[in-house]
Amino acid sequence: MGLRGLLFFNAIFALLPITVFADAVVEGHVELPKSHSAPVMAKRYEIVTIGGVLSPQPPLAVVYLDGSFPKSTTTATKQIAQKDLAFLPSLLPVQVGTRVEFPNLDDTYHSIFSYSPAKRFDVGRYRPDERPIPSEVFDMPGLVTLRCDIHEHMRGLILVLNTPYFVVTNPEGRFRLGGLPSGHYALKAWIDSKTTREQPVDLKADTVLHVDFP
Amino acid sequence: MNSPAQAKKRSVVRFRTKLVAAMMLVVSALTALGLYFTQRKVATTAERDLQENFQAEVVSLHKVLALRQTALTERCGQLVSKPRIHAALEDNALDLLYPSAKDELQDLMEGQELSQAKGASSLHARFYRFLDATGAILSPPNPKDVGELSTEAMAHLALKKLPEVQQIGYVSEGGDAAGGAVDEVMAVPIFSTETGELISALVVGFKPLEIVGGAGLKSGIWVNGRLHLPSLAKPAQLALSDEIASAITKSDRVQNNFNVTISGAPQLLFYKLLNPESVFPPAYEICVYPLTESVAQQRRLRWQIGGAGALLLLGGFMVSNFMARRLSVPVEKLAIDSERNRAALASTSEKLKRSTRYSADASHQLKSPVTVLRAGLETLLRCEDFRPEVYEELSALLHQTHRLSGVIDDLLLLSRMDAGHLQIESEPVNLSQLVDEWLDDLSALPDSPEFRIEKKLPVGLHVAGEKRYTSLIVQNLLENARKYNRPGGRIRVSAHENANHVVLTIGNTGRPIADAEQQHIFERFHRGSIRSAVSGHGLGLNLARQLARLHGGEIRLVQSADDWTEFETCFRVAQPAPNRAS
Repeated sequence: MGLRGLLFFNAIFALLPITVFADAVVEGHVELPKSHSAPVMAKRYEIVTIGGVLSPQPPLAVVYLDGSFPKSTTTATKQIAQKDLAFLPSLLPVQVGTRVEFPNLDDTYHSIFSYSPAKRFDVGRYRPDERPIPSEVFDMPGLVTLRCDIHEHMRGLILVLNTPYFVVTNPEGRFRLGGLPSGHYALKAWIDSKTTREQPVDLKADTVLHVDFP
Repeated sequence: MNSPAQAKKRSVVRFRTKLVAAMMLVVSALTALGLYFTQRKVATTAERDLQENFQAEVVSLHKVLALRQTALTERCGQLVSKPRIHAALEDNALDLLYPSAKDELQDLMEGQELSQAKGASSLHARFYRFLDATGAILSPPNPKDVGELSTEAMAHLALKKLPEVQQIGYVSEGGDAAGGAVDEVMAVPIFSTETGELISALVVGFKPLEIVGGAGLKSGIWVNGRLHLPSLAKPAQLALSDEIASAITKSDRVQNNFNVTISGAPQLLFYKLLNPESVFPPAYEICVYPLTESVAQQRRLRWQIGGAGALLLLGGFMVSNFMARRLSVPVEKLAIDSERNRAALASTSEKLKRSTRYSADASHQLKSPVTVLRAGLETLLRCEDFRPEVYEELSALLHQTHRLSGVIDDLLLLSRMDAGHLQIESEPVNLSQLVDEWLDDLSALPDSPEFRIEKKLPVGLHVAGEKRYTSLIVQNLLENARKYNRPGGRIRVSAHENANHVVLTIGNTGRPIADAEQQHIFERFHRGSIRSAVSGHGLGLNLARQLARLHGGEIRLVQSADDWTEFETCFRVAQPAPNRAS
């Protein structure tokens, strides 16, 4: 068995857990709070604060499978860009240990920081062409509020989750979360900084479970 | 003769003195009035100028203060909107609050050493603190970084409730009762960007602005019963502090001014509440403006006005004196003339009195001997042992005593009239009847010449008067008409009513009265030369006229020519009394 065979094994081995557990699928609908603005062709999502509750606007939810899953051995990298003096996307769910880059797509300075307990960081002021792109690794689960020290109105949310199984609903609240392991879990829907709904689920291989969050 | 002249001179001098005094009084009053109004106007102008100067100073000071406060407000407002401060407060990262603020407020705190050295003109803060939602001070990890504060100042900074709007306060640093340092404090509320709630406040302390303006204007702060006016000596500050405290307690005005004395110098003190409706204790801006120059200027002006007044008075006195001399000349003349007239009048009156008294006395004195004489003659006539020619003589003598009695009676009556002692008791008198009676008597007289009587008299013609005097008038006139008639002549008596008068006209034939004598016929004891043959004593017409006048009437000679003499007598008409037809 040469190098080619080793590679193949490795590939099989690597895919093994996926092929073993990637059977179950959950799909359904999350009843989202009513949008505060008129339904428009919203391309951008912003984080708004109403009565001390941070939520994306128009409403979105993050549906994730809660449980204790092995941590990813590799560091995944995601991006939240600053474009038109806003975070894009404004809500980003990541698994613990993910590195998030903050590329500056505006032609002005930004200074991203967070004083949230889940992650305190301050990347300082940086220009659009700053290389490497400023980034932080989020290694504690929790909700991280992103602020810009220069543009006080800017807010972004990073939902750091223990699980690799999560998905952001579409604006209507529909979601489909596939490749889930079989077993008894809690399926959660994060709606805003104060609201997370939960449904117990029994996942079976090759089955599509329909779960709605009313 | 010398004494009255001197008296007159003295009285003229007195008059002149009085005139001068009166004029001086007027001049003095006018001068005093003028001085009073001038003084008042000057005082008002000075007061207005002072107020204007002072207000101008205060206004310029307030402009500086307002500019500074606007700058501070803006600066503090910017500070509290800093995302890091909000993040620290909203994301429960209080440990990062002061470190974050240190970066944000760095420029505000920078150079504070310099600012203290330079005074308070810069906008650098001396300290800052954050308050939590309850108003308590969030302790800084390192007080040196945020400006150290005394315990007293800390106590003043902590608030019972967070302010909803930006507030200004003044906080004593402690130390002495007066003169200690004071900080101007700006408390800026911090609202959560997430909940909109009041979550904190930033309190920034600045060195207060102290300006020594033009014209010696000094400003300071009065707070918590203490005055902070470093340019004043401490004892003066202490004394002034009490005065301000009592003035503020007495008045509820937010600003006012009053006069004070600082170290013996008069000053105008102005106070104004700096932070109305503030959560901090009320603090007053105190401005002290020296009045020394203004007072000195007023004193100078008062002296000048006083001097001008004195000069005016002196001038007034001289003019008054001159005028009095000029004015007193005609008055003096008038006084002398009047004195003369008065003396002449008194002398005349005295003479008249004497003469009247003399007539009365003489008449009284004569009456008794005449009566005795007549009685003696009548007794003699009753004797039968005289020769017939003795009887004739005695009869003639008796007749003369009757005449004498008549003269004496007339004289008595006249003297009573001259003395004003004759009172008329007016009543209606039937003139027609009176005339008839006298005409009857006239014709019965034994030595009457032959004459004819023409009578044209309405019946029951009544006049107002006393009957016996009216009768005397009629008697006298008819007697004259008889006496001065010629034999075969006539007497005409007529009467008519004319408005309020009754006119009785008595005319007789006979030699007329000469023109030259006509004007004298009513004089006492006047008898026409041509009539010496006729008995009479020259009192009848005078008496009749006096009596007529006393009754409100008159007698005049209408004509005396061509064998006809006519007198007209006016009586006041009277309504006949119904029961007294007589």
